[in-house]
Formats: sequence, C-alpha cells, structure tokens
Amino acid sequence: MNVRIFASAIVGASLVLLAAAPFLAAQEPPATPGGPGLRYEIWVELDAAGKMLLGKEEIVWTNPTRDVVPDMLLHLYWNAFKNEDSVFLRESLAETMFRTGDAPDDGEWGWIDITDIRLADGSDLKPGLQFVLPDGPETAGDETVARILLPTPVQPGESVHLRLEFRSKVPRTVARSGYYKDSFFIGQWFPKPGVYEEGKGWNCHAYHMNSEFFADFADFVVHITVPKGFVVGSSGKLVSRSDDESVKTTTWTFSQAMVHDFAWMADPRYLRIERDFIADRDVTAQEYQETADLLGLPLEEVRLPNVKMILLIAPEHKGQIERHFKALRMALKYYGLWYGPYPYETVTMVDPPFRTGSGGMEYPTLFTAGTRLLPSKNQLSPEGVIIHEFGHGYWYGLAANNEFEAAWLDEGFNTYSTGQVLAKAYGPGAVSFVFKGLSLDWFLRVPKIFDFETDRVAAINTVRYDPVTAWSWKFYNRGSYGANVYMRAATVLRTLEGYLGETAWARIMRTYHMRFRFKHPTKADFLGVVNEISGQDMTWLFGELLEGTETFDYGVGAVSSAEVPAARRGVYDRNGAREEVTRKKAEELEAAADKAPGAARSYRTTVVLRRYGEVQLGGDAKVQVLVRFKDGSTETRAWDGQARWARLEFITPVKAESAQIDPQGIWLVDANLANNSRTVDGLKRNVIKLMSQALFTVQLFFHFVGSWS
Amino acid sequence: MSVLTAIAKGVGTAFRKPRIVAVLYVLNVLFTVAAAVPLLLIVQQELGPSLVGSNVRPMDAMWIGEAVLKYGEALMPLLGGVLVVGVLCLVLNIFLNGGVVGRLLDREGASKLEPFFADSGRYFWRYVRIFLLSLVFWVLTFGLVLNLLSALIRPLMENAWTEWLPLILSNLHLLIALLLLSIVRMIVDYARIAVVSDGERSVLRALRHAVRFLGARFFRAWAIYLLLVVLTLAGTIVFYVVFGRFAAPGVAGVVAGLVWTQLYVLFRLWMRTVFVAAQAEYYRAHPY
Repeated sequence: MNVRIFASAIVGASLVLLAAAPFLAAQEPPATPGGPGLRYEIWVELDAAGKMLLGKEEIVWTNPTRDVVPDMLLHLYWNAFKNEDSVFLRESLAETMFRTGDAPDDGEWGWIDITDIRLADGSDLKPGLQFVLPDGPETAGDETVARILLPTPVQPGESVHLRLEFRSKVPRTVARSGYYKDSFFIGQWFPKPGVYEEGKGWNCHAYHMNSEFFADFADFVVHITVPKGFVVGSSGKLVSRSDDESVKTTTWTFSQAMVHDFAWMADPRYLRIERDFIADRDVTAQEYQETADLLGLPLEEVRLPNVKMILLIAPEHKGQIERHFKALRMALKYYGLWYGPYPYETVTMVDPPFRTGSGGMEYPTLFTAGTRLLPSKNQLSPEGVIIHEFGHGYWYGLAANNEFEAAWLDEGFNTYSTGQVLAKAYGPGAVSFVFKGLSLDWFLRVPKIFDFETDRVAAINTVRYDPVTAWSWKFYNRGSYGANVYMRAATVLRTLEGYLGETAWARIMRTYHMRFRFKHPTKADFLGVVNEISGQDMTWLFGELLEGTETFDYGVGAVSSAEVPAARRGVYDRNGAREEVTRKKAEELEAAADKAPGAARSYRTTVVLRRYGEVQLGGDAKVQVLVRFKDGSTETRAWDGQARWARLEFITPVKAESAQIDPQGIWLVDANLANNSRTVDGLKRNVIKLMSQALFTVQLFFHFVGSWS
Repeated sequence: MSVLTAIAKGVGTAFRKPRIVAVLYVLNVLFTVAAAVPLLLIVQQELGPSLVGSNVRPMDAMWIGEAVLKYGEALMPLLGGVLVVGVLCLVLNIFLNGGVVGRLLDREGASKLEPFFADSGRYFWRYVRIFLLSLVFWVLTFGLVLNLLSALIRPLMENAWTEWLPLILSNLHLLIALLLLSIVRMIVDYARIAVVSDGERSVLRALRHAVRFLGARFFRAWAIYLLLVVLTLAGTIVFYVVFGRFAAPGVAGVVAGLVWTQLYVLFRLWMRTVFVAAQAEYYRAHPY
C-alpha cells in the first residue's frame, strides 16, 4: 500500500468535499420521509498496476426498528472470488447448464480484507470480527458475510458509527466485477451492512451464483483516486475532480442520496459524453395527457423531470453513441410516464470495458450496457440491454425487493417492462444471428419478434422445474433460474395485464411502484395492490402461476357441425297410433324439407373444451370461447374451466367454421396455443407453406451430405 | 486451356446431360421425404386443424416453443434417425459419383440410366477408398493445420486491447479454413476424375496424379474452383432475393415458393455437375 498517495488523496478529497458541502446540500434530492437510516463515506484508491483497491469507509447506521441490535452483519462480496470454498464458486462449478463462473486462473483471484474496524470513539472491533454462515452449515468455508459484535447494543432509533479500512484484490473478471489490462469495473466492492428486519434480524445472505443483491437505502459520498488520465464513471453525481501532480493521480468525488449501492469503472481509453433528457422536448403534451387519463392522475403528477445522461463508451464503439442515447431517452420516457418520474439528477450508462465481463448489469444511477463492433440495424441490440438495465433502476433500484429471496420481483417486472418499452419505441426486433462477430440477419432474413414471444417460449418450457418464487440459489439450475424469474414471471405479468385490462393494469403498476419506492416490497405487497386496484381476489393466480409448477393449458378438444336432421328414425306414438320412421322415410322427409319453399335448415355445432393442464382458473376468472360460423357471424360463451372438459352446443342456421378458446389471447401463459382453436375442416395455407419450407431445409441438408461424398 | 474456357465447356457438358441432375434430384427428394415425414406429421397434427396454422411463420417462436415442449424428448431419436438416413444418403452418393463423373467425362456419350449405373458400379469401391482417404486430408487440414494456426493466433487474440483484433483474426482464420477446404475438395475431385479418365485402379496413384496435376497448375485450377463457388453463391443470393417476394399471402405465393425452392435445389445439383465437368475438361486438356 502506498500510504503517501492514499493519505494525500484523502486530504485532498476531504478539502474539496468541505468546499462543496453547501452546494451538495442544495443539490441533493429530497430524502424520503424519515430519510435513509444509513450513510456511507468511502475513500478508495485504485492501484492499477497491482490490481488492488485500498479503501477507508465510514458507516453510520441508525436502527430503524423496535429491536435492540447487538451486532452487525457485513457483506464482503469479493471473497466469493477468493477460493473454491466460496459458495459462489462451489455453485458455479457444480452448475449443470450454463457455466458462468469458472474459478479464476492462478494469480487472478479476488478478495477483500477488513484490515481495521472501529467505532467512531476508537473502540477496536476487529478482534470480534468473524465470518458467519447465514445460509446454513453447508456453506462452510464461505467468507462473504462477516459479523461484528458491538460493545453496546444499538437501541431503537440510535445510531452506530463505524470506521473501517479495507484492502481488496480486484479479480480478473468474475461475475461482472474485475479487470482486463487497464480497464476496471468495480461493483459490490465495499463492506456493506445487510438489511436489518424487525423481529427477524439481519438479512444478509452469502454471495450465491444465481443471486443478485439486497441492501438498505443510504446516502453516499465516494472519493475515487485513480492514476491520472483514467476516465471514471460512477453511481451518483460528480461533485469534484482534482489532480495530484506529485503522485500523478486524480481523485473523483461522487455523491448520491437514497441509493442502496455504488459502483464505478475506470479506463484510460474511454470517452465520456453527456447529453440531456429534456422532458419538454422528449415527451409530447399528448403523451402526458394520455398517460394522465390512463392512470387517472392529475397532469402535473405525470410530468417528468430533466435528467443528465452520461455515457462512458469505448472508442471503437464511438459510432454507436447516438444509438445508446436514443435508447436511454426511450427508457427514461416510458418508465417515467408509466411507473413514475426518475428521481435522480443523473444516470450513467457504461459501455462495458472489453473483457471485463461487466456488461448488462444494474447499479443505482449507473448501469452497464453491452454492444459489439458492427451491430445489426435490425436487431434491438444494444437497445434491449440499455432499456433493461436502466429499467432496473426502477425495479430493484427504487422498488428495492430482496433479490436473494424474490428475484422475480425485479427481473420479472423488468423483463416485462423492457418488452413493453421496446415494443412501444421500436417494434419487434430481429432474432440475433451472429457468426464470427458478423451479423447475418440481413442475409438469412431472420424473423422479427417481440420480447413477449421469446419470454413465453421459456415460460412454458421451464414451469416443470421450479416455482417462480423460489429463492435465487434454490433453482434446479441456472437455466431454470433465468427462465423462471425473468421470462415466466414476465409472461405471468403480461397474462395478468390481459386479464385485468389495460387501465387497471397501468394503475396497478404505477401504484405498486410509487407506493413502494424507496422501500423493500414483497410478493404480498404486490398482490395487495393488485387486489386493491382490480377489486378482485387474484390470490389464486399467484398461487397457481407463480408458486406452482403445473402447466396452464386450456384447449378445444373437438368441434363438429352438422345439419340437424328433419326427421329422426325410430318408433313414435303420434295421434294415438304407433308409427315407425324407417330409413327410407327419413330420407324422403329430408328431401322434402330441402325442397320446401323458404325452408330454413338448422345446424348443430358441438364444441368440446378441454383442460389439458393441471392449473385451474380461480376466483371469477373464465375463459371465453368464440365460435365462428360460415356466414361470418360469431357467438361467444364463457367457461369457468373447473372441470376437465365441457361440451357446448349451438343450434344455428349456418354451419360452424371454427371454435376458439381465449380468442383475445389473454392467457399468454397457456402452454399450447395451437390447441386453442380447431377448424371444422380444411388445412391451412400457411401450414402447407411451413411444410414446404421444412422440406426444402431437409433437401438442402441432403444435398449438403451428398456434396461431401 | 484457360479458366473461362474450362468453365464454359463444363457448363456446356452439364447442359447436355440433364439426366444426371434428374437422377440426383430424384434421390434427393426420396431421402428428403423419408427423413421429413415425422416432422411433417407433427406439423400436420398440431397445426392442421388449428387457426394458428393460418398465420404461422416459417420461424415462429411461439409455435416452435410449444413443439419443443411437446416433442423435445423425441428430438434426439429424431435427429438419430436423420443421421442414419444421412449416412445412407452419403453412401448412395458415393455410389452415384461414379455415374456422374463417368457420364460427364464421356462428353459426347449418352447419359442414359444404364451406362450411368454401370459407371456407378464400376467405380464404387475405388470411390469409397477415395472417400476414406479424403478423411485423412480432412483430419490433416482441420485437425492439424487449422489447429496450428489457431495456436499461433491465440496469444494475439488473448492479449488484444480491443475487439477489432479478435474479430479480424477469427474471420481470417475462417477464410483460411474455407480456402483449405476448397483445396482439399479440389484434390479429391481431380482424383475421382483421374480414376475415370486414366482408368486408374489404384486410388493412391489417382490421388498422387491429382496432387501433381494441381502442383503444376495450381492457381488456374484453383481459379476454376473458386469461380464456380462464386457462381453458386451468386445463384444462392438471387434465389433468396426472389424467394423473399413470395412472402405475400395467397395460394399463388405458396405454389410459386414451392416451385422456386425446387428450382434452386435443381440449380445446386446442376452446379455440382458443372464442378465435375469443368474440372474434367481442364484435366483432359492437360494430359498427365
């Protein structure tokens, strides 16, 4: 550790901060009622050559509960990359589907040591510091959670002021933190308290492979010292930047109130560009009015603030600068209009440094996107990742659910929201088809699809493995985790939207977000809002589709439509006499009926509905059944879907053409949409087209085989 | 003989022997039908009576997802079946190669079925041996040369400062692989031609002839091969550009699409005969 550099940086930064204090106070957004019970001030120096971080940290934690708290649990996330005994690497190495976290190579491990920890009065807490296993003894060996015993328990409403020093080795790119050459992305890097929950204690899980994070809202001031010439991007707002020519370093100071994490990057080659989201320019009066009408809110409540957009981008991606800003503008606009105004002054978008593996990740007021050289114009990339990761600023950043225990509340909500914004702003995008770094979609004419289509594919195929609501590290594998918490959750939300209707749904999402902004919502909180706004009890749907692992599949089992006979065969007692209607007589009567002037024949249409899946509709929910007749007329009925099947009959003057269950496509979560309809007769033209193209593909395959003979 | 003359003469010969393409086409269709029937049955069963069939697209994510859910476990057996049919197809093509080369080298002779199959039978075992020996070339090319090349460029890629270097190097690697592929295929083609043209019974000698022949006039021979590759690519681009026009709804569009795909398959099979005919012309113009 270079003590001189570190000390001078701290002194310099502190002076700058003191000078800026009045300015800071004026600029910070108003705290939520009560304000955060947590404050950080961190001084960190990057040793770029040694790949080390040297840090000092002050934490002031106020006990917000009625409990007397005797200790504190701290996350030390980077110890996940310390050795193969960490939970993160053990889970990564045991992963059966997508191996994402192979252990680092020799010399590339990452770790964090607390070298000193004291109370503000100087009491040394280091002797009592120990690693603990909040997720059970099976996680023995993990060092990502440490416990300190406080000399005096913290009474309700009282504060504890800690002073720490830490020393970290930056890993070589693991789980979105790390370095490659002179590029650094630094996330989850400082000792961070868990979340204290009244009556339950500290919620502070180990760092798991599939899990993201959970922390309390706090006010941050962070001083980052890097070699001179490095460009730094960070959470929060840049307060000051000062050079120290004697040691060739620059200290960047950032601050941000009411966020629960803080990440930054440093790279000497990067471009730093700023643009403004100007609400009056980027949102039209009509859009404001439509949103206010939809949400039932006064116009003033849906107005958006201006936001400073900051982009840090690699020089080789310079040509994509405007593409990045356009996507961010769309995200600021639609998330803002739909869920609530973005409450911070800045948002920083980072094009992830080459080979730091840091792309596609969210942190409060900062996110990493991800693009490549020569991107396709047809694909919504990098737009998709920009909108998604910005969106996490809402779902996780503001409505800050516990990502360890309910990842779907941010990933699912945000996957749903991303799809909505992309569809609104761009329409469908081409499926990615990249070979050797070159996009081939223009040549292969790959189809353009909406996000909800791919989400549904994953949703119906993953339901067998886990419930959506499982804890992050308890999923069958990484594939099940991803498909369930992102895509199945998004598909269920879209299904809810279809069922409850556009207006109710828009108000539910807005209410839920605004009510739980700067809080830690749970599934019960969301269900409460759904029931409150919709006026229906949707508990059954949450149980069946989010907590269950059964398939939802309603369909049409059979449809037939035939003329009602004019005469029926058999023996009848009529006018005191017994008469047999023979086959021949019946045929004669049929012929006579056909010839009778103005005779109107009728048709009996029988539709058999099936519940193929185990999921049953609940509450007041019903599926609609639409029968279309040859003359273009239709008839719609509803089925409660409780039994395994139901038979419906229709007597009409014309023959039926088709029967369709859920004609409006409300139940997107249905595993088989093909069986939702049946036609009385005929093979569809598109089926023949599909078959001919399948044949052609197989033909080319055999030609290819033949050409290798 | 110039490159263009060899190609022109090869095209002329191929045009005069349409029966060869017809035989290859019939074979292709038979194998296709055999392998595709299960797939077509699934499509028919699932989409035939459904309204989804009215708007299903060739790559319909919604339906493909359902098919994966229902038939995912049958995928491996299905692919296994296709693989078996593929191996049979390969063997039969080795057999037919004798007829193809034999009839194309008999420039003025008839391409009736009897001499075609007689040639197929006559050269079958020699062509089998050439095929097996060609595997050695493939192993050498892809297992050794390209791996060596990969090992050479790997340190550069691993130490790259930006994405550009890996992008350029990996595409360069691909280009070299394709060029090597063309050279190996050319050697095998000329060996087959030598077997028929020179009546060579030893395939090792035929391969040696081919290598020496190419060694003496490599770039011209390569130019013939690469120009024919370009011609095939051009035809493929035309095919896909026109094929895109048949996306419009309507029975006529479906029928036109069907016809157009079959014309393309015929074009590819015809190009296969042009490759042989043009190289045969060039080979005969320079007697060994």
